[in-house]
Amino acid sequence: MPNAIFFPLPTGERLTGWRDRLVRSNALVADAVQQVRRDFYDSFDGRLSRTGTMLEHERGAHGGELRLRVCDGQRVRAALAWDTEVPRFPAALAPGELRRVLEKRLGPRALLPLASVRLRRFNLRAVDAEDKTRVRVRVESLGLRDSQGRFRVLRKHLCVQPLRGYSKDAQRIVSCLEQDHGLRPLCADLCALILTAAGSHPLDNSAVRAVSLRADMRADAAARRVLQAQLADMQAQEPGLIADLDSEFLHDFRIAVRRSRSLLGELKRLFPRSVQQRFGDDFAWLSAVTSEARDLDVYLLNFAAYRRAVPARLRPGLDPLQALLRDKRQRVHSEQLAVQLQSRRYRAFKQRWQDYLDRPLARRPTAPEAAKPLGAVVRRRSWRRYRRILRQGARIGPESPAEELHGLRKACKKLRYLLDSFAALYPPADLEAAIRILKKLQNNLGEIQDLEVQGVALNRFAMELRRRGEYNANTGAAVAALLETLQRRKTQAREAFETRFRRFARAGNQRLFRRLLKPESAEPPR
Amino acid sequence: MITLACYNIKGGVGKTASAVNLAYLAALGGARTLLWDLDAQGAASFYFRVKARVKGGSRGLLRRKRKLEAAIKATDYPRLDLLPADFSYRNLDLLLQQQRKPGTRLRKLIKPLRGDYDYLFLDCPPGITLASENVFAAADALLVPTIPTTLALRTLEQLAAFCGDQGYPGLRLLPFFSMVDRRKQLQREIVARPDGLLKKPALGSIPYATEVEQMGLRRAPLETFGRAGAAATAYRQLWAQLQRALASP
Ligand SMILES: Nc1ncnc2c1ncn2[C@@H]1O[C@H](COP(=O)(O)OP(=O)(O)OP(=O)(O)O)[C@@H](O)[C@H]1O
Ligand SMILES: [Mg+2]
Repeated sequence: MPNAIFFPLPTGERLTGWRDRLVRSNALVADAVQQVRRDFYDSFDGRLSRTGTMLEHERGAHGGELRLRVCDGQRVRAALAWDTEVPRFPAALAPGELRRVLEKRLGPRALLPLASVRLRRFNLRAVDAEDKTRVRVRVESLGLRDSQGRFRVLRKHLCVQPLRGYSKDAQRIVSCLEQDHGLRPLCADLCALILTAAGSHPLDNSAVRAVSLRADMRADAAARRVLQAQLADMQAQEPGLIADLDSEFLHDFRIAVRRSRSLLGELKRLFPRSVQQRFGDDFAWLSAVTSEARDLDVYLLNFAAYRRAVPARLRPGLDPLQALLRDKRQRVHSEQLAVQLQSRRYRAFKQRWQDYLDRPLARRPTAPEAAKPLGAVVRRRSWRRYRRILRQGARIGPESPAEELHGLRKACKKLRYLLDSFAALYPPADLEAAIRILKKLQNNLGEIQDLEVQGVALNRFAMELRRRGEYNANTGAAVAALLETLQRRKTQAREAFETRFRRFARAGNQRLFRRLLKPESAEPPR
Repeated sequence: MITLACYNIKGGVGKTASAVNLAYLAALGGARTLLWDLDAQGAASFYFRVKARVKGGSRGLLRRKRKLEAAIKATDYPRLDLLPADFSYRNLDLLLQQQRKPGTRLRKLIKPLRGDYDYLFLDCPPGITLASENVFAAADALLVPTIPTTLALRTLEQLAAFCGDQGYPGLRLLPFFSMVDRRKQLQREIVARPDGLLKKPALGSIPYATEVEQMGLRRAPLETFGRAGAAATAYRQLWAQLQRALASP
């Protein structure tokens, strides 16, 4: 079975809304809602997940099924109809492929329950004149019970399941979702996501790190907690990253690094200068040694889209480019990433950083705002950052150089990290609205810059191919067509900027940010 | 991958019905299953609502111009794929004769599928032809639906003799009773006291039942709409027995 394609949806959206939209826009047939429970199993030492698989037991009104799922590609390696409890050892299963594979991988180990999720889903399908199904689409929400027994929606997504021999029908739906509905596919390891969220990832024994914050706590103490959570997040990604299980590990690792670095910079009045400088350098270093690998991941994740951007007859011309990227990525990963993350320098950094975060708070700190209440400090900082964004954006016109947009993008990221990291300080509805507004601007800025960077990089790789003589007959034309498409999209995104920014800076939105961030007037102005 | 061919020299004995229902049950049980409709009539393809057409036809397949895999279609059921029939299969013998080693082409052709599927079912046309010899060489077992009549039993003995003489050492002959009409005394007697090849271990029997005929109207495997009926139950038993038989040498 070809791999499924996932499109994450904001968790606030309703499944029925998407179901109806898809039924209308793509003439899909919808089946009744389905509720199932999925339990995940592995041995205590993760013998299944180490081989990139996971045993899941799905039970619903239609009976149960045991499946050995391949985590990265969302394929099922083997399955078995199974309505009763999952036995501790596969020998108790009915004979067949599933039992054979499980016995081989588990050896003497027992199966233990790891996590349990609930799925609510609508199954949609496109059928032809013979009433034969040609592609399946699932609209799903995935949730789990946390340790307090509360139900929490973990994620909502659309999943397009291409069927063998009917790839065109799947492509049609995918491009409709991308173009008409503006969705972006995500290459995420669903197993890892579920298990991490359930707090029982065999590779990651840390549960979801919720940091508890209050507006009246000491600002430096709170900032340390947030940074501590980021460090734990980085460490949780290490094994998966080094073993190269999924590109998401590196992605999350880099997010934690960037957040930490950004917070150190934004909240500089909370930390002694020496601390800021020293650890700021460390984070800059980590960012630098991981960036090439991430870029290559992005190009590879985008590759299906690159192919679609090129006329069908030229597509084989992109094969050498993909091979080159894969090759480079492999090399960067094993020679650079894995090495640096196991280096003495990295270990020493973690130790120092941890020591610093653990150190008792100074009674009379030297940093000017360290002992102030968190709420006031963070709001003031965020408010200033917001107003700066307004000024920066207003200066940008159609002729402005790319660096100014890039600068604005960085500023938006800083504000975003502040909002995300200290979310607990704000009324949730307002915060969500503010983030939505900011995100729209960020998406536009991100697109402009990413397309620019991608164009330059792909051009460079194409030249490298030519030098090495690894060109096939179509490569030149294919790369040219691809670059042209990227360029066109970039121009479109760039042209859209003005409108996007105007919307971002609309009076109503400004009022919202003011309400959310502006320091209380009772405070002395700075 | 275990290759099972539903085969009988005689026509209209339930080959296609068994191939469709057993393949469905195999997939339902969790196995990655492929059904190849080798009959130019395309009955199995029809049951799965797939057009009986392969780009390039049998010529393309045999010349390996088009990979077999490219012709595979997913059915509406998880893990069950179909290789549809093509009208050109009626000339398969002629084409095979033009090949080198014409008796083992099919075996070679399906080799690349071995890692992709746990079971390959072949729904064969009736008759003994070069194409069926290819099937004998490619299959691990022949599933032979047999109507309980003395004539049919003779045909079965002939088939066994043929396979023995021609030397298909790995091939197992697994006959079972098909379309058993309980109202007919002779049939009852034959099923009650099976003889020869059908004696041991008996795989079971499929009764004559109108639900099976309904598959043509529903265009779906029996299990999906007639689960409770005698024929569906018989097919499930047959599949269970068959798996047992395949597991023991
Ligand atoms: N157990 C059964 N009870 C009643 N009808 C049956 C049964 N099995 C098959 N039939 C019907 O008998 C006819 C022939 O069956 P089927 O097509 O399976 O046989 P076949 O051996 O594949 O035929 P052919 O040689 O033409 O390929 C079909 O109409 C089918 O619906
Ligand atoms: Mg037939």
